[in-house]
Amino acid sequence: MACEFNLNFLKELEQEAVLEVLHRDQMVRKTEEERIRKLKLQLQQLRWKGARNVSHEYQERSCARCQKSLGLLMNRGAVCNGCSHRVCSECRVCLNPCLWKCTVCYAHGDVKVKAGEWFFEERAKKYPGEANILHFLTLGISHLQELGQSKSFNKSVENLFLSLTTHIKKISKSQNDMADRHLLTTGYGQNVERRKQRRSQSDTAINITSRVFILLYTVSNWNQVKPACSFCRGVETHTKILVLSSSLLHCEGSLYSLNSTCTDSGNFGKANITGEIEFAIRYIFKACVLEICIKGCKNLAYGEEKKKKCNPYVKVYLLPDKSPRSKWKTAVKKSTVDPEFNETLKYKIEYSQLESRQLQISVWHAGSLKYRVFLGEVVIPLAAWNFEENSMQLFSWYQLKPKLEKHEEDLIQYGGELLVSARLTVPAQCKNFQFEGMKCSKISNLAELSLFLGSCLTLPDQAEVKRKSPVLKKEACPQWKHLFVFDGVTPAQLQQSCLHLTVWDQSVFSSSDYFLGGAKLGATGKHCHLKTAQWSLSPLSSQRVNKGFGFNI
Amino acid sequence: MASATDSRYGQKESSDQNFDYMFKILIIGNSSVGKTSFLFRYADDSFTPAFVSTVGIDFKVKTIYRNDKRIKLQIWDTAGQERYRTITTAYYRGAMGFILMYDITNEESFNAVQDWSTQIKTYSWDNAQVLLVGNKCDMEDERVVSSEKGRQLAEHLGFEFFEASAKDNINVKQTFERLVDIICEKMSESLDTADPAVTGAKQGPQLTDQQAPPHQDCAC
Repeated sequence: MACEFNLNFLKELEQEAVLEVLHRDQMVRKTEEERIRKLKLQLQQLRWKGARNVSHEYQERSCARCQKSLGLLMNRGAVCNGCSHRVCSECRVCLNPCLWKCTVCYAHGDVKVKAGEWFFEERAKKYPGEANILHFLTLGISHLQELGQSKSFNKSVENLFLSLTTHIKKISKSQNDMADRHLLTTGYGQNVERRKQRRSQSDTAINITSRVFILLYTVSNWNQVKPACSFCRGVETHTKILVLSSSLLHCEGSLYSLNSTCTDSGNFGKANITGEIEFAIRYIFKACVLEICIKGCKNLAYGEEKKKKCNPYVKVYLLPDKSPRSKWKTAVKKSTVDPEFNETLKYKIEYSQLESRQLQISVWHAGSLKYRVFLGEVVIPLAAWNFEENSMQLFSWYQLKPKLEKHEEDLIQYGGELLVSARLTVPAQCKNFQFEGMKCSKISNLAELSLFLGSCLTLPDQAEVKRKSPVLKKEACPQWKHLFVFDGVTPAQLQQSCLHLTVWDQSVFSSSDYFLGGAKLGATGKHCHLKTAQWSLSPLSSQRVNKGFGFNI
Repeated sequence: MASATDSRYGQKESSDQNFDYMFKILIIGNSSVGKTSFLFRYADDSFTPAFVSTVGIDFKVKTIYRNDKRIKLQIWDTAGQERYRTITTAYYRGAMGFILMYDITNEESFNAVQDWSTQIKTYSWDNAQVLLVGNKCDMEDERVVSSEKGRQLAEHLGFEFFEASAKDNINVKQTFERLVDIICEKMSESLDTADPAVTGAKQGPQLTDQQAPPHQDCAC
């Protein structure tokens, strides 16, 4: 694969021409992603419109879309073929004299067409009859392993994602139906709040679909960008894709909660925080894997105090990445306040990345439906963690704490670009490797932040040379014009080194600075001339951070 | 994201979101059959007889109005030369439509059509649509591949067929429009069958467009 996308056979001018095209393509893609995002947002709003508008109590017989009450004889409403909701005659779109859909189902199809998803779905049809997701996932995993080196790797990953999508859609559909059946029989009385939750549950499912699609999009993006990436290391992109997919595959049992709409939006119950959690953290340097082994908890608070009910599970994020890729959950243990999990999770992450991360381990009670109760959490800044020390790898108990206020919660997507140039000066004696003229442009919401750049050069022997730029305060388009100088690096070393450039928000009070994004430059190829490179500053996720655009230095 | 580079490529091309669908189309075929000229004729309505080999890949964006829908086309022009093959095949995957081109004055380019079609089958997705185009039909004097031969091959491969000329602007627009139409057909077909709930219901006549006027008093 690496050689397949190797651009080294091209002359320099040709490389530039291709890169220019790729850059333009990226622009087009971004516009397209933005458009699709908007479309989906509109669809979501349409979905919620019904539920949100109810000022009166929920009535058993009302249109699922406009909430207009339905009569017994006149305007009785009918059940939509797509979503099985009962809707009034005004909330229907007729496709032909014998077929209609409710407005939401129609819009759903419309979005599917407009977003081009129909094309991807057709692809997924190649794999019919695999109704069992678990089976499919295991299949997927073995697929990944088998094909790790083969040419069709990317394709198979895409297949995997696509089929996943369709499967999830199926789930969402059945959920939809289930929720509705319930609705029709018990009617849910007056609990409008609950009903909202339920509806959002099925909506969540569809949400994930789009998430997966976005992931898929990232993957395919990757493939397309790969010609550029091969400048750094073709092999690397491989592992990245593996990471991305494996974290998805981890979710097995709880696929439907890939993005925690309930727990992340603050829509959850709170209990008195008591108890402790036992886990161990270690970093496997050879494999670049961070391992967290969750043993169990003791003395947890009851999720539902009155009923003395508690079904705990543990959720882990590698902050600041709150995307599904970073999320991991244990199984839910039933009716216990001293659960034993004994589960190990792995994050594939570069060591140099760890210091920018915080491990958030939270304990939750899984109530009926989507009802969740927060039982406490532990946040561990990995920067302070000594992974080389053996005693740090042992199991120990940690006191569960209440949620940190806001601070960590506000997830802002930063995007931007860094302008960098690099040169290698080779005087007779000392060898300098210099970066200069850093410029950061177009990062959203930067005005209030105090920014600085960090750079970390990882040498072939894993030694790291770190540099920091001065802090620039409250500038929308900060220009550091800072020169990072790495002395004593030989061109030979440089060939196997890589440079991480990270942008940070310096925090005033707390000791941990806020990580905004970064890019990684793999240094291979020609070094002895100056080249100006420009690449995107990726958002807060680890994979993206590593992704960036690789450029020749 | 707007950056300094945005203005370089023109705001229009990258930031215009005012369209309904976006299709990706790939033009493939042997070197010097006229793929780039064909694209330039369609996108810019320009033609230069000078031959400049395409480096790897290039694309142009054109928004058209078809079947009451604004459709943004991202048309990829690929290099025909073998040495770029690794780059170009990477782009087959996302393409919804292909224009497979040969030169009617060049037997070799026609003979290669079969290979190109295999390439499509290998690298693209099954539901991608393909048109076979014999370019340079203005050069009747130097023709070596008859229309009939072209048509037969297209039929054999299951593609639709056009003879066109980028130089004299013959059938260029028609080719693209036909391809867009075929993709649209495929799209409504898949929309028809994609929804299992809908397929369970009675299969009505083919949807050609989603913009059916809502009948409010339909109570079936």
